[in-house]
Amino acid sequence: MAGINLDDSVMTTRLDSVINWARRNSLWPLPFGTACCAIEFMSMMASRYDFSRFGAEALRFSPRQSDMLLVLGTVTNKQAPVLRQIYAQMAEPKWVVAVGVCASSGGMYRTYATLQGIDRVVPVDVYVPGCPPRPETMIHGVMELQKKISRESLSARKEHIERFYQSMARQEELQRAKGLTSYQVVREMVLEAGAAGGQQIW
Amino acid sequence: MTPAFSPFLPVLLLLLIALGVGAAILLVSGKLLPGLLKPDNPQAAKLTPYECGAPPRQQGARHRYSVKFYLVAMLFILFDVEAAFLLPWAVQYRTHLWTFWAMLSFLATLLVGYIYVWGKGALDWER
Amino acid sequence: MVIERIEAQLPGAILEHHAFRGDETIIVAGARFLEVVDLIFGEGYQLLLDVTAVDLETPEYRFEVVYHWLNLASQARLRIKVPLAEGAAQPSLVSRFKSADWAEREVYDLFGIPFEGHPNLTRLLMWEDFPGHPLRKDFPLDGGDLFCSQDIGASFAPEARSLNA
Repeated sequence: MAGINLDDSVMTTRLDSVINWARRNSLWPLPFGTACCAIEFMSMMASRYDFSRFGAEALRFSPRQSDMLLVLGTVTNKQAPVLRQIYAQMAEPKWVVAVGVCASSGGMYRTYATLQGIDRVVPVDVYVPGCPPRPETMIHGVMELQKKISRESLSARKEHIERFYQSMARQEELQRAKGLTSYQVVREMVLEAGAAGGQQIW
Repeated sequence: MTPAFSPFLPVLLLLLIALGVGAAILLVSGKLLPGLLKPDNPQAAKLTPYECGAPPRQQGARHRYSVKFYLVAMLFILFDVEAAFLLPWAVQYRTHLWTFWAMLSFLATLLVGYIYVWGKGALDWER
Repeated sequence: MVIERIEAQLPGAILEHHAFRGDETIIVAGARFLEVVDLIFGEGYQLLLDVTAVDLETPEYRFEVVYHWLNLASQARLRIKVPLAEGAAQPSLVSRFKSADWAEREVYDLFGIPFEGHPNLTRLLMWEDFPGHPLRKDFPLDGGDLFCSQDIGASFAPEARSLNA
């Protein structure tokens, strides 16, 4: 499945540019911190690198009150349905930044336990490489996200998120139909996507 | 002799304007502007209660709570109604002497009940 | 010191012992294990720090269950290793040490060693229906599961893979 369609000739209107200006300058992060990248995130929020310059002063650990999901650290296969649920519970509009190599691709953990990249289960907007990335790198990643937000149209973002909810509905249906646990359903969906040539289930 | 129009008419007018302006503000900021700007996408997965991503452990948010709260509320109602009866009496009991004794007998009845409640330990929160 | 006392009171319980830079280790047979535990509890080793296991795959026995104790009074530590054959069960220490609860669940989850008398012997780290026991030496690193490979799409249909996938 392709990412959000930015190359189609979608003309962003003036309303879009105003709204996007507001959205990109007030990104409230939800730090989904599982490992070492969360520590670098703490440095980024602290006074030397000061992430709140970018409008991210309001750090909310609740999906209801934030709009940017920062996945900081390794996500295990057991954690994958939890990550999907958290992303599902966030209020729209929402963006996802995969911080660090573990979130981007599984990192150095090519094992039975680690999810090989969160883009298998949630739609990711920006990948920030590093193990862990320096705070400047993470800030650069968020600035790239801000540029992306200024380029996209409101309806494109809406459709992009809608696709994810369709995959949540499919997950729910599979769970009920086959009586499997959520981890097994996610695994089945990834393998099914693999059979079709990709590996992303959203 | 009733006046031509009530002196309270400006107050009514003020009340209506206040309600109207309040409703207008709420409608514009709550329905009109969000209708234009806010993405509205209620999805089943989004509306599930937040439990750190885990599946919900119990049906709904009904917790069991102690019956102490019910007891306190009931006792409050009783003695509050008693106090409400005392208020008009306090204004005019000096007009007739027997109203004093009538109210005192009423209070004595409730006093018996109060002593019983106290003795039974219903006022003791810690028990 | 404590090793001598164990030897004195429970002769034959200790199969082997060694020490390295103040680290004392004794190897105890499974049958005498609980007696030794009760004895060292009396000696002051009352904090069970960890229960873990090693998959050795020696010809005599497969696993070695390793326990660590701390004597809070003397700050001395003791390690007890119990050799265990495959499929054999180990008595649970939950009734004596609360810290054994999750530690034994972890050993069960990752090695498949059952603990008799454990109140809730279920998987702790892996999910409930995970197939296999990951820290055994014969468990492959990626679980033998295509799910963990980096590029599932290519495994299925290498020529059909588009650049946008």
